[in-house]
Amino acid sequence: MVLVLIPSLLAAQTGGRGRFEVEAATLGEALRALPIADLLFDERGELRPLVNPFVDKSLERDLTTPLQAHSEVRVVAAIAGG
Amino acid sequence: MSVLLPVGTRKGLFLLRGDESRRSWEVEGPLLKGWEVFHATVDPRDGALYVAANNFVYGATVQRSDDLGKTWERSEQLAMPDGQEPLKRMWHVEPGHPSQPATLWAGGDPHVLFRSDDGGATWEPNRALLEHSTRDRWQPGFGGPCLHSIQLDPTDARRLYVGISAAGVFRSDDGGESWTPANKGTAADFMEDDKFPEVGQCVHKVLVHPARPDRLWQQNHCGVYRSDDRGESWERLEGNGLPSGFGFPIALDPGDPDVAYVVPEDGAEGRVTAGGRLGVYRTTDGGASWELHMDGLPARAWTAVKREGLAYDDGGVYLGTQSGSVFALATGDGGWVDAAAQLPEILSVEAAEWSSS
Repeated sequence: MVLVLIPSLLAAQTGGRGRFEVEAATLGEALRALPIADLLFDERGELRPLVNPFVDKSLERDLTTPLQAHSEVRVVAAIAGG
Repeated sequence: MSVLLPVGTRKGLFLLRGDESRRSWEVEGPLLKGWEVFHATVDPRDGALYVAANNFVYGATVQRSDDLGKTWERSEQLAMPDGQEPLKRMWHVEPGHPSQPATLWAGGDPHVLFRSDDGGATWEPNRALLEHSTRDRWQPGFGGPCLHSIQLDPTDARRLYVGISAAGVFRSDDGGESWTPANKGTAADFMEDDKFPEVGQCVHKVLVHPARPDRLWQQNHCGVYRSDDRGESWERLEGNGLPSGFGFPIALDPGDPDVAYVVPEDGAEGRVTAGGRLGVYRTTDGGASWELHMDGLPARAWTAVKREGLAYDDGGVYLGTQSGSVFALATGDGGWVDAAAQLPEILSVEAAEWSSS
């Protein structure tokens, strides 16, 4: 199982849940398995430009990035000015 | 009856509860922290609270709460059809006709109207507007290419109106299957050649009078207008007491179709309240004359009230400023009362019945 951590703004959209354990072989599968996937991907299915996923503390925007059995994925909103 | 004001702000949603006199207020919030709540409204048919909420990282959403903000359900992802520009923001949610209890309408950017027939769970874009023969002449307003006004005719479920920046007002008599431009007599002073085009007007807000639905009121980039024939023609009204024809919101009085309220700004360049004061102007004669009505409002102010920032009900008028203040004026009362202050920038105010019991 892969552990996925999401920021508090997104956790508020899931009733306060910020940690998810999902079955996923790739980063894209892990993100799309979340109940807030529509907030991470735009209507064309593209990862939104200011959503930055980290896999085991390394920024990865390639959705085909393979995950290991105990990988940790952390979703971080990009710092965009201010 | 007590009143509930859902107040959308740049940084979340606030709920203001006022007593019957509109003099005593309680503030709850912020809810939906981190979301820009462009519009929030209570569906009078079932009490559900809806928001058009946007986030610069996570996109445009419509969300529904059945317990006044304790828990939320987000609509299935809203999407433009293939070949169109992607959805950028949601601007407005309008509950549907009482005879269609599961139907709602919502407006967004780019120039899009959505319809839901399942209580806001899923939404479909209105094809007739997307394919309208005049669409290539629609321009973006200063706030982007947004569909911000949606008005229903309470006597006819098939008739509705939309206000689009900067395309103008459009009327449908067949439930949204087709749309007719309704801009005759409204000016587009910013055009170089044709000042009264078929479409391209910069409507800022359009309202239908609930008790006399053939009468519409409009605050436009280029003036204040009234129509008495369902938008077939418009009369310009502001040359008689208003300091400026430029403004965004407009409010009505459900008990008197000759009453309207506007908040003029000093013009399209400055975009602050006219004369350095928060001046609300009221007409009681269908727009023939206007009087300043600011007892209780700050004497000096350089703020503004956005297009959704003015609301009304049977009991009064309510305004929210870009400076984060909410003021209430009880019907028949002399002055405005502070309902809240120091909120984030206010994007919208609506009014709904509320019972504390």
